[in-house]
Amino acid sequence: MASINTPAVVMDNGTGMTKLGFAGNDAPSWVFPTAIATRASGSSAKPSAPAKPSFLNTPNVAGSSGSTGGSFGTSPSPALSSIKRDMADLDFYIGDEALEAAKGPGYSLHYPVRHGQIDNWDQMERFWETSIFKYLKCEPEDHYFLLTEPPLNPPENRENTAEIMFESFNCAGLYIAVQAVLALAASWTSSKVTDRTLTGTVIDSGDGVTHVIPVAEGYVIGSAIKNIPLAGRDITSFIQTMLRERGEADSSLKTAEEIKQKFCYVCPDIVKEFAKYDNNSEMFAKYIIDTVSGRKITVDVGYERFLAPEIFFNPEIASSDFLTPLPEIVDGVIQASPIDVRKNLYKNIVLSGGSTMFKDFGRRLQRDLKGIVNERVSRSERLSGAKSSGVQVQVISHKRQKNAVWFGGSLLAQTSEFKSYCHTKQDYEEYGPNIVRNFSLFNVPR
Amino acid sequence: MLLLQPENLLIQKTFSKALSEDYIPATLDRVITDFDFTAYHISTPSDKTGILLSVGIKCWADLIAHGTLELLESIYSKYSSFLQILSDGNAEPGYNYGLYLELGKVDLQNGEEIATLISDLSLLKRNCFAAPFLEAFGRYEVLAQEEPVDPNNIYGEDAPNNSKEPVIALGYRDNESIFIKPSNDRVTVIFSTIFNDETDKVFSKVFLQEFSDARKRSIQKAPQVINSHHDIPLEIQGLEKENSDNKKTYITFVLFPRHLSTDEVKWNSITQIETFRSYFHYHIKIVKCYLHQRMRFRVQSFTKILNRARRDVTEEELRSERKTASGRRFEQRT
Repeated sequence: MASINTPAVVMDNGTGMTKLGFAGNDAPSWVFPTAIATRASGSSAKPSAPAKPSFLNTPNVAGSSGSTGGSFGTSPSPALSSIKRDMADLDFYIGDEALEAAKGPGYSLHYPVRHGQIDNWDQMERFWETSIFKYLKCEPEDHYFLLTEPPLNPPENRENTAEIMFESFNCAGLYIAVQAVLALAASWTSSKVTDRTLTGTVIDSGDGVTHVIPVAEGYVIGSAIKNIPLAGRDITSFIQTMLRERGEADSSLKTAEEIKQKFCYVCPDIVKEFAKYDNNSEMFAKYIIDTVSGRKITVDVGYERFLAPEIFFNPEIASSDFLTPLPEIVDGVIQASPIDVRKNLYKNIVLSGGSTMFKDFGRRLQRDLKGIVNERVSRSERLSGAKSSGVQVQVISHKRQKNAVWFGGSLLAQTSEFKSYCHTKQDYEEYGPNIVRNFSLFNVPR
Repeated sequence: MLLLQPENLLIQKTFSKALSEDYIPATLDRVITDFDFTAYHISTPSDKTGILLSVGIKCWADLIAHGTLELLESIYSKYSSFLQILSDGNAEPGYNYGLYLELGKVDLQNGEEIATLISDLSLLKRNCFAAPFLEAFGRYEVLAQEEPVDPNNIYGEDAPNNSKEPVIALGYRDNESIFIKPSNDRVTVIFSTIFNDETDKVFSKVFLQEFSDARKRSIQKAPQVINSHHDIPLEIQGLEKENSDNKKTYITFVLFPRHLSTDEVKWNSITQIETFRSYFHYHIKIVKCYLHQRMRFRVQSFTKILNRARRDVTEEELRSERKTASGRRFEQRT
C-alpha cells in the first residue's frame, strides 16, 4: 500500500484552537480557531440558490440508483424540508475565515467542540472535511491519521469519530491518542528528561480551563483528575480589569492579551516584587500600540506583569469562589493516585498549553510543591520515627509547551511503528466501530 | 467549497510570510503534501534567508518525457535573479525538483509582482502536470492544420487515421493513470480510477451519470464526459491491461476546440482536469457527509417523537407500583 510512505496527519481539535499538520514537522502547519461559520437558518434557501449550478438542482436523477440521488434532497416530508439546504451544506467556512465570514450578514458562528469534547457531529464532520481537503490538501485514503481526545472521553465519542473517519473519509488508518499522553511524549525533548517514560503528571492549561492529569504508563488515572476553572482567559480579563481601573488609554481585550504574552512572568515572592517595583521604576514597562489611524498609544504596564500569572498560586486575588492554589491541587491529585506511582508522578510534572508559558512558571510551581511535600515528609518522619528516603519533585518545562499535544503527536506518528498501532480501514470493516475503544499503547523507546 | 483550489495554501502561506516586509528569518524544515502522492519539502538548507522548495511527484518520469522541465524553466526562469532551479541531479535526494529562493536578492518592487511569484510557487504541482497537456494541445493544432475537420462528419466520429496517434500516459497514482490523446478535432483525456469502497463506486456512478446528463440538459459548452465501469475505452485498449476484476472506472473527457481556443481557456482546462480525480473523490466524500447529517437529523426527530409518546405516571400509580428490594409491595393500612 502506498499510504505506508506518506506522512501521517496529526489533528488536535481543542476547544479553542485546532492544530493541524503532518507528522515529522516540528510545528503544526495550521493553527486556527475550531470554529465553523454556516449559513444562518432561514436565510439559507434564497441566497445560496444562484450559486448552485443548475444541473445539481434538478430533482430527477436519471441514475440507476435513485435512492442516493437528488430525490433525497427534495423529499416532501415536512421534517426533512426544514433542514433542506440546497448547496448550503457546502457553503461554510472554518477557522480564521469563519471568524471573518461571521462578521458579515448571513453566517452564524459555531464552535463544534465544547469542553474538549465534540458537541456537534454535523459541524465537526464538515470541519474535518475542509481541514483535510482545503488546508492540508491530502487524500485521506492515502494517509494515516492521529487524532486526539481529552481524558475521560466517552468511548461512544471515539466510535463516532471512527465512523466519520472511516466511512465518510475512508482514511487509511486511525489512531486516537489521549492529549495528556501526547503532552508527556512532547516533554522528551527537554534535556531534563533522562528516561522516556509515559508516567507523569500533566498540567494542561489552555484558554478555558486547566486540567491536572496523572498518567501512569500511558494510562490516565481518571479518578484523580482535577479541573481548575482558571486559565488563559481569566488572566487576560484580570489584566484588562487592572488596565481599566488605572484608566489606561487602551484597555481592549487584544491589548490585554498582548501584554499577557509579552510582559508577564511569575515572581518568587509578591511582597518583595512589589518592593522591587517601587524602588526601581525601570521595572514598569511600556506597551506601544500602533492604531489604524497612525497614532501611537502608550499603555503603561505595571504590577500586572507579575500579578496576573499569580492567580494560579493565589487565586483569591482574582476569583472569589475558587481559592485553592495550583500547587495544592497538584499535590492533591498525586495523593489521590495509587500509592505505587506517586513518587514517579512527583518526579515528572509536565507543563502543556499556552497558559503555562510564563517565565519561571515551572520553577515557582516546583518550589511551592516541594514545600508542601517536604513538610509532609518531615511530619511523617516525626510521627513514625522512621527515616524517609525522600521524594524528588521535578517540574519540566520545555520549548514546545505551547503546542505540546500536537508536537507529541507528531513525534509519535513519525516513528516507524506508528502505523502498526493504528486501526486500518480493513480492521474497521471486519470488527465494526467498537474496535477503536482500545488502542495499543506506544512502546516507549529506551 | 465547490471546487478544490489548485494552489497549495501552505506554500502560499509560507512564502507570503517570507516575502512580507516584517519577516524575521527562521529555520524552516517542514513536509507538506498535496493530492496524488505529491510531497513538498520546505527547508532552509544553508542559512535562514534561503528557502528551498522541493517537490516529489509520483509520475515524474512520465512528466519529464513530455517536456515538464522545459515548461517549468519557462515559468520560473523570469525570476532567475533570485530563484535558482534545481533539477535532475541537483534536486534534494528523495525529491524530483527544487526551487531555491534567496530572500535577500528578491528585487520585486510592487505587491502585485510578489503576489504573482507566490501564486506561481503555490501552483507548482499544477505546472508540473501541465506539460503533457500542452504537448497534446500543440499536437492537436498541428493535426488540425494538416487535416481539417470533415464538414460531412456530422456525428463527430473520430477520424480513422487518428488511431495511429500515440497516447500520452501518466501513472499519477498506483494503478491509476491519465491518458491524453490528441486528434485533429479534439483532445481526449481518460482517467482510470479505483474505488476501494463499494459504496463509493455506487456514488461515483450517480455522479458520472449526472455529468453526462447535465450536458444534455443545460450546459452544452461543457466537455463531453463518458464513463465506463467495465470496458476499457477503445483509445487506450492497447495500453491498459485487462480490467478483469472490474475495479477500475474509466472516465473520458472530450475536449473540443472551444476548450483549447485561447491560452487562458487552455490553462483553465488543465487546472480543472488536473484536479479532477481529487475533486471527484472529494465530492463523493462530502455527499456521504451530507447523508450522515440527514441520518442524524432523522434519528433526532424520531427520538423526539418517542419522547413525546412517553406516558406521564401519576403519583397514585407510582405508589401502587413501588416495591421493596425483594419484590413485595407496600400495603397501605387504612
